[in-house]
Amino acid sequence: MDIKALFSPSRMSFDLQAKTKEAVIEELIELLYKDGKLSDKEKFKKAVMKREEEFSTGIGMGIAIPHGKDSSVLEPCVVFGVSKKGIDFDSMDGEPAYIFFLIAVPENADDTHLHVLSFISRKLMHEDVRKKLYNAESFEDVISAFEEK
Amino acid sequence: MKKIVAVTSCPTGIAHTYMAAEALQMAAKELGVEIKVETRGSVGAENEITADDLKQAHAVILACDTKIDEDRFQGLPIVRASVKDAIKDPKGLITKAMSMEKKDYVDKVFEAKKEAKEKATGVYKHLMTGVSYMIPFVVAGGILIAISFAFGIKAFEQKGTLAAALMDIGGGSAFYLMVPILAGFIAFSIADRPGLVPGMIGGLLANKLGAGFLGGIVAGFAAGYLVAWLKKTIKLPKTMEGLMPVLILPVLSTLIIGLGMIYVVGEPVAALNKAMTEWLKSMSSGSAVLLGIILGLMMAFDMGGPVNKAAYTFAVSTLAAGQPSTIMAAVMAAGMTPPLGLALATLIAKDKFTTEEREAGKAAFFLGISFITEGAIPFAAADPLRVIPSIMIGSAVTSVLSILFKCTLAVPHGGIFVLPIPNAVGNLLLYAVAIAIGTVVTALIVSILKPKKV
Repeated sequence: MDIKALFSPSRMSFDLQAKTKEAVIEELIELLYKDGKLSDKEKFKKAVMKREEEFSTGIGMGIAIPHGKDSSVLEPCVVFGVSKKGIDFDSMDGEPAYIFFLIAVPENADDTHLHVLSFISRKLMHEDVRKKLYNAESFEDVISAFEEK
Repeated sequence: MKKIVAVTSCPTGIAHTYMAAEALQMAAKELGVEIKVETRGSVGAENEITADDLKQAHAVILACDTKIDEDRFQGLPIVRASVKDAIKDPKGLITKAMSMEKKDYVDKVFEAKKEAKEKATGVYKHLMTGVSYMIPFVVAGGILIAISFAFGIKAFEQKGTLAAALMDIGGGSAFYLMVPILAGFIAFSIADRPGLVPGMIGGLLANKLGAGFLGGIVAGFAAGYLVAWLKKTIKLPKTMEGLMPVLILPVLSTLIIGLGMIYVVGEPVAALNKAMTEWLKSMSSGSAVLLGIILGLMMAFDMGGPVNKAAYTFAVSTLAAGQPSTIMAAVMAAGMTPPLGLALATLIAKDKFTTEEREAGKAAFFLGISFITEGAIPFAAADPLRVIPSIMIGSAVTSVLSILFKCTLAVPHGGIFVLPIPNAVGNLLLYAVAIAIGTVVTALIVSILKPKKV
């Protein structure tokens, strides 16, 4: 499982500044856009917000995984972000979210990438993985959190 | 160990589907429950639930926010939840699934019956509504008449005796209401409460005019559609709307249906009714055999569906005169042999049925002796091409034998429980023989046709 392919040091922030749900989504999208993975950031934001309207992707346990599937995405990738203070994300458990994964998928993503994403989603349900992500300070830390058994 | 199967699915199919799956798996591990989770995400279905899994499964958890095909889980208790619930409280879902009872066979049969009822539409549904309200009247009347016969077939002719009283209750009253109730509730099914009045009155007129069952059905449908049409067509000022249900609809519809029955429908239908009865009476053994075959095939063909009910309703109509009927006897026998024959087959050809089916065989036996043909449905559903022809042949054999043996039945229902009532069944011994032969024939054909289970 090649997790590295989906992440990149340039798409990670270990100190997110945003204080609200929408702001943090914008901050994450900005990283994605700067890295050249988006053709239209407004359009992608719309897709992500629309998904949030269905129900919040704040899955509780301090984690949020906003995601969008949209034609404005150039290749499937993930933005990783940590907020030290925590952000109210309308999470299922009512607690603030600290760890963010913004997942961007193009309209016709191939299965390999989707498999990696499903693998990551599953991993997030495990507490030890979450702990490592909390304390992650580098690209390598994030990758190793997922790769370790 | 109990096993749970689950399906998770979310609209985007990227993240939640898998998180829910993982959450369920983790919770199951903790609770010591075996689980298999099928994920239906954007990559399609993964870790798919197989027929084997279903066999071992105790219950199903559907954590789905999208529509999925649930047919394959038929018969298993289902816990429905959203993906969110599965992520938030996977343990709760599993505990709930574990506490659910696997429905047993008899429940399944009744559920299938109910489902068929709900699915029924249009003309068939209206007719069935009428028939279902009428049946208890026929059963009450029929059994009381049968008890009267127990005092001797002509005992009721003696005025002031209990036999005469029973005949008056059963034949004179319960049977008298049969056609009005049928017509009334056909109309009720079509046009709701306002349909009841013209329907019942039309049915009663059909009785009086000698148009019987057929006349009742005509009256019921005519009344129902007439009222529905009147309701739509008559527009009253707001202040007078209250008059519609209490005055205008009942009077107008009853007038039209009543006159229609007397001047238009009554005579020809009465003639038709008479001709049919005559034909039944005059049947030579040749055409009796043909009729027996047809009725037998019909009873087994869809096990409680419209074809079966058509044959049954026809048979009930032959009882309306209050006389024991050979047709009724043939039809009841033919409706009993499918489940009975399958029950027997699970005993003589054990290796051709699954453990579950062998268990179901016992239940089928009881449904069979109670004249609940639907007891054969689960077997037929599992293997229709082999089972349905077998039970049709068995039923046809029973039906023909019953007619040839001149067996008669004075009641419309009851299965084996009416047999001990003296004179309820004419030619009791041979009737039992006819049923037994049909059962054996069904069992043998099924056993020969079905392949061995490995």
